[in-house]
Amino acid sequence: MSTLKTRHESRTSPPSGPPARERRTRGKVTGRTSWSVGLLALPAVGFFLVFNYLPMAGLVVAFKEFDVNLGIFGSPWNGLANFAYFLESGDAARILFNTLFLNVLFLGATLAAGILLAIMLNEIRGTFFKRASQSVVFFPYFVSPVVISIILQVLLAGASGGGGAVNDAMAGFGLPTVDWYTEPGPWPWILTVVKVWQLGGYLSVIFLAAITGIPEEVYEAGMIDGASRAQMAWRITLPLLKPTGAVLLVLGVGRIFYGDFGTIYAIIGDNGTLFENTDVIDTYVFRALRQLGDFGTTAAIGLFQSVVGFILVVIAVLIQRKYSKETSIL
Amino acid sequence: MSNPTMSRRGLLAAGGGLSVAALLAACSSQPKAAGNQAGGALALSLLLPGDVPAGWDAVLAEVNKKLQADLGFTIKPQFIPWTSYGQQALLKFTAGEKFDTALQARWLNMTQLAASGSIVELSSLLSSGKYPNLTATIDPKIIELNRWSGKLYGVPQINSVARFHHFSIRQDLADKYGMSDITDFAGLEKFWYDVKQKNKDITPIGLNSRLPKLLVAWNPVGWLNPYMWDNPTMSLASFTGESLNFVLAADGKQTGSSHPIPFWEAPGMMDALRLVRKYYQDGLFNKNALTLDSKALDSQFKAGRVATAWAMTDGLSSAALPELTKNVPGAMIANVMPLKGGANAKPYQTFQSDNFVVLNAKGQSNGKAMQLQDWASIKENHDLLNYGIPGKDWNPVGDDKYEKVSTYTFPGFALAWRAKLERRIKEMTESEAKWFDWAQDIDNFTVDPYASFVPDPEPVKRENAQVTAAMTQFANPLFIGAVDVDQGLDKLKKALDRAGLAKLQAEMAKQADAYLKGQ
Amino acid sequence: MSGRKLEPFTVFSIIGVGLAVLCCAIPFWMIISGSFTSESELATTGYSLFPDFDFTAYEMIFTGPAVLDAYLASVFITVVGSALSLAVTSGLSWVIARRVPGISRPLTVFSYLPMLFSGGLVPLYLLVTQYLHLQNSYFSVILPLLVMPFLVFVQVSAFRQLPESIFESAKIDGAGELRMFFTIALPLSKPILAVVGLFYAVHYWNDWFMALLFIDDVHKFPLPLVLQNLISNISFTQMLPQLAETATPVYQLRLALTTVAIGPILLAYPFAQRYFVKGITLGATKG
Repeated sequence: MSTLKTRHESRTSPPSGPPARERRTRGKVTGRTSWSVGLLALPAVGFFLVFNYLPMAGLVVAFKEFDVNLGIFGSPWNGLANFAYFLESGDAARILFNTLFLNVLFLGATLAAGILLAIMLNEIRGTFFKRASQSVVFFPYFVSPVVISIILQVLLAGASGGGGAVNDAMAGFGLPTVDWYTEPGPWPWILTVVKVWQLGGYLSVIFLAAITGIPEEVYEAGMIDGASRAQMAWRITLPLLKPTGAVLLVLGVGRIFYGDFGTIYAIIGDNGTLFENTDVIDTYVFRALRQLGDFGTTAAIGLFQSVVGFILVVIAVLIQRKYSKETSIL
Repeated sequence: MSNPTMSRRGLLAAGGGLSVAALLAACSSQPKAAGNQAGGALALSLLLPGDVPAGWDAVLAEVNKKLQADLGFTIKPQFIPWTSYGQQALLKFTAGEKFDTALQARWLNMTQLAASGSIVELSSLLSSGKYPNLTATIDPKIIELNRWSGKLYGVPQINSVARFHHFSIRQDLADKYGMSDITDFAGLEKFWYDVKQKNKDITPIGLNSRLPKLLVAWNPVGWLNPYMWDNPTMSLASFTGESLNFVLAADGKQTGSSHPIPFWEAPGMMDALRLVRKYYQDGLFNKNALTLDSKALDSQFKAGRVATAWAMTDGLSSAALPELTKNVPGAMIANVMPLKGGANAKPYQTFQSDNFVVLNAKGQSNGKAMQLQDWASIKENHDLLNYGIPGKDWNPVGDDKYEKVSTYTFPGFALAWRAKLERRIKEMTESEAKWFDWAQDIDNFTVDPYASFVPDPEPVKRENAQVTAAMTQFANPLFIGAVDVDQGLDKLKKALDRAGLAKLQAEMAKQADAYLKGQ
Repeated sequence: MSGRKLEPFTVFSIIGVGLAVLCCAIPFWMIISGSFTSESELATTGYSLFPDFDFTAYEMIFTGPAVLDAYLASVFITVVGSALSLAVTSGLSWVIARRVPGISRPLTVFSYLPMLFSGGLVPLYLLVTQYLHLQNSYFSVILPLLVMPFLVFVQVSAFRQLPESIFESAKIDGAGELRMFFTIALPLSKPILAVVGLFYAVHYWNDWFMALLFIDDVHKFPLPLVLQNLISNISFTQMLPQLAETATPVYQLRLALTTVAIGPILLAYPFAQRYFVKGITLGATKG
């Protein structure tokens, strides 16, 4: 019903171009027009130069022995000492592994959840339920990590620090209860569930917008061929979401060495019993340096995360260009 | 679909135009505003932690009116949320901003700022005789003990002379179990087990995520360390607040050797670790101790869900009483200090202030900043800042008590805490008053032989950072008994060895020996 | 179309979405209900499914200093910021999406690098306070967040999904690049413009960190900073003295703050949703 209506609407308002006129240039954009099209990017270029590239001069502090009074440029050089601090610590291997492992989990799970949710939402046709559910699944994105932490404690430990809703339920099924807050094993998965809850709806909005860009005719053709809804979702919608998914994936790969500090720290905090499986670069650095306030070491670790991320992105883009050129961001 | 395409294009064009205009306007107009300030009357800029107090505008207006009349300048405080305070304050120092005073402390970045010369050494200002009210309200002995290697880097902000943590317990429950007056650790232990047995819904000991490090090896005593309560004469020192505590030799003054040892080698420590492990397994603590924040725990205490809370000799534990009695009619609170020998125990005390007001070396006027400290040492001004407007925010009760009537809460410890001027809350219980009074008398304590020894973390910066990280990971679970003592300690030792414990220990010995020599 | 029987996949989808909605709606309800429940009740059970109409926390929030000012400040930052961001991002994305030789590819790298490398807090702070002198101006919050590379690439990928044939024929009709951008690309991209605009709005609405850095006048604080002040005001260290506070509802206050902050965005969402309709059909362009 509603599909018909939207189709009808869009038919009535085709983009109206000016009347046809002879032009010699066709196909690729020419030099003259490309110059004018470049104008559109100027404000953004200016922004990046001033607010991103100019401050990057501050990265030199990663190679300096930072002194509050001398500032960034006045502090003495100290070579790679700031980098040594983290890489030489006995925990570096475990923390790097945690960072990678957790981020791969988060990235994969949230993207999959976003795509699945978008496809399922797309199946529900123009009803109040569809609109309401879109709003509701979007909402967790706005819940501050502090509040997520409260909700988790209610579920896993109970308000008074013993029991909790999950343990009550497990006891109901005859399962043994768990002291969640001193048991590191399940935490990578608990955090993944939290991330999916937080971001699934948010990402589904992006994919939903991409789905709305798919011409209705494609589905009509599918229907004439007698494809089921499931087949159409699998063969039409999913492949058409590939470019968007690929972009998000590549962007995610670049940030894979950054932990999600806000959420992880709000939930885990200084609970050392859980670090074995949850400590990532950002939380480790925060903990080790909070009383030293050493901008040099912080900058060095940030630079390390960026450089490794950059290398990974370059590899990802090369692979993408080799196997799936049309989805490449370059 | 009804919007014509033209309007959208117009909107975008307008957006672009707006952005350019805004940029230009923003860039050109601001310097003028900055210039205005320098020309006009002086307003001291202060960094304060926490959120803006309710009713702040009215109090600030009153403060500035008086300040203008008394001293000819005003103040312009800036409130910075707790969680960002350390970083923000350091950032402002680094950027060379011209604010005048800030809260600093060893648990913030004070040692670093002192080392780099970012904050003013106060000795000559303080001895100039220009600030009589300030010097009259801070005990000279306290000033002396808060000098670091002879230098004073901030005005100590204290509301009691000595700070000694202890227990705030639900006396109504203790009465019910027939324990009318608990005075020692054994009594407390019996109380906790009684609570556990007889009140299933009440946690015997409430722990929040900031407490673990205070439980076993802490200065002056570990909160749940019976040996230290019996022998409160151990000297502990660490490079930074979250780092490893070393125990220093008691006879250092005689031998000249401080001989620092990691806490677990000191007497009583292993027993205390095993004790908290037993408490944890017997369910005396809340299971989410390592995660629960302090405010949430307070709230549970006020709701009657917790039988014992951490208390400090700051006269504030009784503040929970009105809310508690509302939720649990008939509830009572008592403060218990389980020292062997009670009030006559004469425990060690370093008298190190937890909080200082420091003067920015690049501030507009260090002299005026000191004048402000002096001004805040006059009772009427002190009361106005700390408690708000009389009649509206609070009512005096006698000369040294007050009754709160609004929700105005000022971070006095960042500007105007003067032990001699502090008023007590009206509700203060008898037992708390007793220990609060006790803590005001310097003669009830023995000055720790290492009292003003403040180790400088700079030479072992990296090792210290790694040790700090290892402590949070392996020591905190040990301190609340969440892991097996032997295995947990083994892991901790290994992690500390990797992190550079040996180097840290050697540096501690070097600095502490040097301190002993200078005594 | 509407008369067809429900297919298994549709049923599966309805159940799937239903479950997702439950997972989000129950915590949502717990937050709202909890914000109206007395503190002692919350401290006992930790949650509440049935509010008992206790308004303590809301009274605290709305009688606190300058909450209305904060709302206005946030609305200004969000509206002006999102409009500027959307305009700037669209322009940049279009140039990248067009694969202009010698421009698009370098521009892609140029726009992506800021997502990875940042000079850190100190240089940005110096730039904004000592060179641009933007302290206490709302543009100090807007400008550093003006373009999010992430959303640039989302928009680029949407622009690239527009069928090339439309632009081919428009070019034959003599349309220039700018004209194609304003009259074809933008109108056809309403869903993605709505999404990107919405995400920018969310971003500006939630930001407290820039405001914390650059705005020190209490009366100019945007809402999230006011909320952040209250929500994070838990003692950071035990060495910090407790203050004689009159009973602050901790749990209730945090839940109420969440509700206050979420409200306007949830109202804005259906507005953006309006644009999630099919805006393009191949048939129309072929004709």
